[in-house]
Amino acid sequence: MSILIDGDSRVVVQGITGFQGRFDTKYCLQYGTRIVAGVTPGRGGEEIEGVPVYNTVQAAVDKEGADVAVIYVPAAAVRDAVMEAAEAGVRVILATTENVPRHDAAAAVAATRRAASWLVGFNTNGMVTPGQCRLGGIGGDRTEDIYVPGRIGVCSRSGGMSAELAVTLRDAGRGVSTCVSMGGDPITGRTMDEFAGLFEADPESDAIVVFGEPGSENEQRLAAALAAGKIKKPVVALIAGEFQEQYPAGVSFGHMAAMISSPDDSASAKRRVLAEAGAHIAASLADIPRLLDEVL
Amino acid sequence: MRLTEDRAKAWLRQRGFSLPQGGVATTPDEAADLAAELGGGVAVKALIPTGRRGKAGAIRLLEGREAAHQAAQDLLGQEVNGHLVRRLYVEAQVAIADEMYLGFGFSGRLPKLVISSLGGVDIEQTFEQDPEAIVSHDIEPLTDFAPWHAVALWEEAGAQGPLLAKLGRLTHGLLAAFRAADGITLEINPLAADSDGNLHLVGTMMEIDDNALFRHPEWSADALAPDDEGGEAANQRERKVREIDKSVPGGAVRYSELDGDIGLFVAGGGAGLLQHDMIIAAGGRPANHTDISPGPTPDKMKAVFDAIFENPRTKALLVGFNHLQMAPADRVIEALVASLGDNPVDPRSFPIVVRVFGPAEKEARELAALVPGIHYLPRSASLKDGVDLIVELSQAAKAREATS
Repeated sequence: MSILIDGDSRVVVQGITGFQGRFDTKYCLQYGTRIVAGVTPGRGGEEIEGVPVYNTVQAAVDKEGADVAVIYVPAAAVRDAVMEAAEAGVRVILATTENVPRHDAAAAVAATRRAASWLVGFNTNGMVTPGQCRLGGIGGDRTEDIYVPGRIGVCSRSGGMSAELAVTLRDAGRGVSTCVSMGGDPITGRTMDEFAGLFEADPESDAIVVFGEPGSENEQRLAAALAAGKIKKPVVALIAGEFQEQYPAGVSFGHMAAMISSPDDSASAKRRVLAEAGAHIAASLADIPRLLDEVL
Repeated sequence: MRLTEDRAKAWLRQRGFSLPQGGVATTPDEAADLAAELGGGVAVKALIPTGRRGKAGAIRLLEGREAAHQAAQDLLGQEVNGHLVRRLYVEAQVAIADEMYLGFGFSGRLPKLVISSLGGVDIEQTFEQDPEAIVSHDIEPLTDFAPWHAVALWEEAGAQGPLLAKLGRLTHGLLAAFRAADGITLEINPLAADSDGNLHLVGTMMEIDDNALFRHPEWSADALAPDDEGGEAANQRERKVREIDKSVPGGAVRYSELDGDIGLFVAGGGAGLLQHDMIIAAGGRPANHTDISPGPTPDKMKAVFDAIFENPRTKALLVGFNHLQMAPADRVIEALVASLGDNPVDPRSFPIVVRVFGPAEKEARELAALVPGIHYLPRSASLKDGVDLIVELSQAAKAREATS
């Protein structure tokens, strides 16, 4: 088992005719991902890397049975691309686009949640269920080497760190069930606690490793889920960015931030709330396998 | 991007909102003329994109030509909250009968509205001491937010009488403005009612989304103005990187200097943060922080390398990427080598450690091998190996420099 994607996932690539879409599609096909369709309006009827291109996601769903979408479109168009996929009934939508305008992100996320689909991203470099399905650029040209199959669920706010985490686990003789780069933009489709909830329900994941950063409320939400008993599997967390606390913060602009954000979203505050909720805090990458050995 | 008050107010005025009369002055004479023209009590305010201006003494309430001239003379050329005051806003004072607060912002995935019948500079204190006086409400992006929804919230916040309908319409209109501007925050404080029950947007703060500038040509030029966020505080090198970043499309690069001596060219937000933490833990001090998104153009990368080498404090460099997944490794090394060619830096005495794995790594290694002294770490090296080596080498280099 795994979360969200496996060997049966049928993938449509939105923006397959662009550079990055085509680049990743090639590597994903080599990996064995079942990419069944591409979408670029106006390019319907063409083939890219042997994959048929359609003008709409709906056509890709109707003709090829696509149930997972990967999006490579510029920030200006990504809101519509996500909404199109959600409306076409796509179950899992992965949006690699970064720096998405905040109002667009909010609208796209609302649309996917309303449609009960899972949006991964914005600003994700992909996800992988080793040996079965890879979406996005994750692992580059060495996905097999970096991500070996195993029983640890990984959820990272940083795309690049997902590889470092997987290599650390691999070198310690462990592997991952599914590794997801959940997205690094301020607004993401789903939050860290929701991904942890999927791993909690996955019988083939024994523990959850997360990588967090300052800003956002993801880690605090995960801590709340742990404290509420919604997550019972061991959680090992590595939170980077403590150095930021050594530098003075700028003068704030207006009063909104003080009234609507958590008072403290620093790395050390996140470590503290997670530890209090029962998570195991890794001080370094090398600490992660050691903590897993203790709890498993 | 934080808009200065004049720009935020001009934009809101254009959309039909009622704001106090005012204008921009760049000299004491202009400020004096404006004060005379407006008549009565005026506020002379430093036009800098920062909050807490009142507390910093950058807002003066006064009357008459001479007082305005004097205040302008005081304020112009001063540094307030890290910004040089170059322009002033001279604005008619409104006879305020009642002060309220209204703000839009983001919390988590949703826009949020925060209102209070108790406005003014101490709104945060109110929030802490009397949280019931503050009403906040999540705005569902795909659901209509109608004037009567706003009326219900203002009623909850304690507003009453004829003001309610006006507040409802105003709030509805401001949400539309917040969206149309691609606002990150829009704050009206105080939102003032005069004795006739008319509402005025007296204090206005607006931050717009840099990621949406592509659809706001009206502000694109301001994005590079010297008084945008951190503009005055930023030094030449930081400004140069920012200019290239904004003027060339493709993966973003960010560069900000710190007080240490180890230059960081680190990519991927997360791995960059982790390596910075690890350098400090290992006893080193970074000379800068960088954040390099996937796939910046070679020009952008070279600009960051140039800034690092031009910073007189930098004595060593860590090029620390995580396993590259979306970009070819040789591009990074090409930019490094090009920058080394343009700067008087010799990697035999200025330690450079490179940890870049991924597509085109073979080409990258061949290229780096042409420059004697670059330490290109093997595939098995961890992030920590790279950090430990650069800290060790930079300390050794410093020791050598001290003895010679």
